[in-house]
Amino acid sequence: MTKLKNVLIVEDDEWVAEQHVRVLETAGYRAEFVANALAAIESVDSHLPDVIVLDLLLTGQNAFALLHELRSHADLASIPVIICTNSADALVDEDLAVYGVRQVLDKTTMQPNDLIAAVKKALLS
Amino acid sequence: MQGSEGQFGLNKEGLLESDLSFVVTAAHELKSPLALVRQLGLSLEAGIISSSDEQAKLLRQIVLTSERALRLTTDLARSSRLEDSLFELEPLNPQQICEEVAHELTPLYKAKGREIRVASRYRPLLAVANRDLLRRVVLNFGDNALHYAGDAPVELRAGSIRGGEAVRIGVRDFGPAVPADMWRRVQSSLGSDKQPLHARPQSSGLGLMVAGQFANAMNGRIGASRHRDGATFYIDMNASTQLILL
Repeated sequence: MTKLKNVLIVEDDEWVAEQHVRVLETAGYRAEFVANALAAIESVDSHLPDVIVLDLLLTGQNAFALLHELRSHADLASIPVIICTNSADALVDEDLAVYGVRQVLDKTTMQPNDLIAAVKKALLS
Repeated sequence: MQGSEGQFGLNKEGLLESDLSFVVTAAHELKSPLALVRQLGLSLEAGIISSSDEQAKLLRQIVLTSERALRLTTDLARSSRLEDSLFELEPLNPQQICEEVAHELTPLYKAKGREIRVASRYRPLLAVANRDLLRRVVLNFGDNALHYAGDAPVELRAGSIRGGEAVRIGVRDFGPAVPADMWRRVQSSLGSDKQPLHARPQSSGLGLMVAGQFANAMNGRIGASRHRDGATFYIDMNASTQLILL
């Protein structure tokens, strides 16, 4: 039996997070969400996710605090990260690549399938 | 819009830079609810939700998210007309305003699994304020608290301050402690005309600025205090002397 891939969603709007979970579970992934960077770090420490889907503007510490934390540890640095944000137009992909960000999704234009495709691509790379 | 042409430059379309900044901020803050409504609608359209209970839940989320966005757009429209309008100030019972706001926000809180309540008080208070503007300020704080609240209920409380000269309505959330850097940005947004785009995540930055403008129009002021386990956002208004005369 194939082990389901784990996706950790870091998103402080729980309805958006539930939407991501719904879409990913429909596609056969195991998905869970946390609301902030600190909870994400705790979650990553307890069980390594295969992919992280990360909102940029979070309550408390922002996404970059989590990205820095992930890059600081050899076992975490290789976890692929997908940024899913309303501010995609303000981001430069090259700047984010150093943080392990594989793709940026624009919440305002993405289709539900785009999230599935991004996770699939991140797992393959 | 606050500021003057002396402080802000005009662009080629003749708009004040401060106006442009305001428009950009407003557009940014409206993106979140609109994007969510769109995503939920796409899921329903794609038919990936088979359970009728789940479909009803998503439809409810669409309605509540739209209402939240509409509150923000109405506030923005109102704030842009503040200087042209005269707002009637009248003696109001702040406890009643708290009850009205709690009643209006209860469906949204329930849908998010949270609770909003009003602290009871025995002695009546009267504040001098405009009913609509005051309601909008407290609604704004209530919306904001929902996002930052933990599991404990958000509490609206009306009270007398400064020896009875003023009345305060506070909205207390019991969320995680606000980090110091974020708190500095909040404090800055409470007292400044120019609002940084990302003063706080979600929709509180613009909402606070608009709430501040509404408070000014009623000769009141807004503020915030940080607690170990959350924060209180409040509005202070002059107390009415009518109660003393009774």
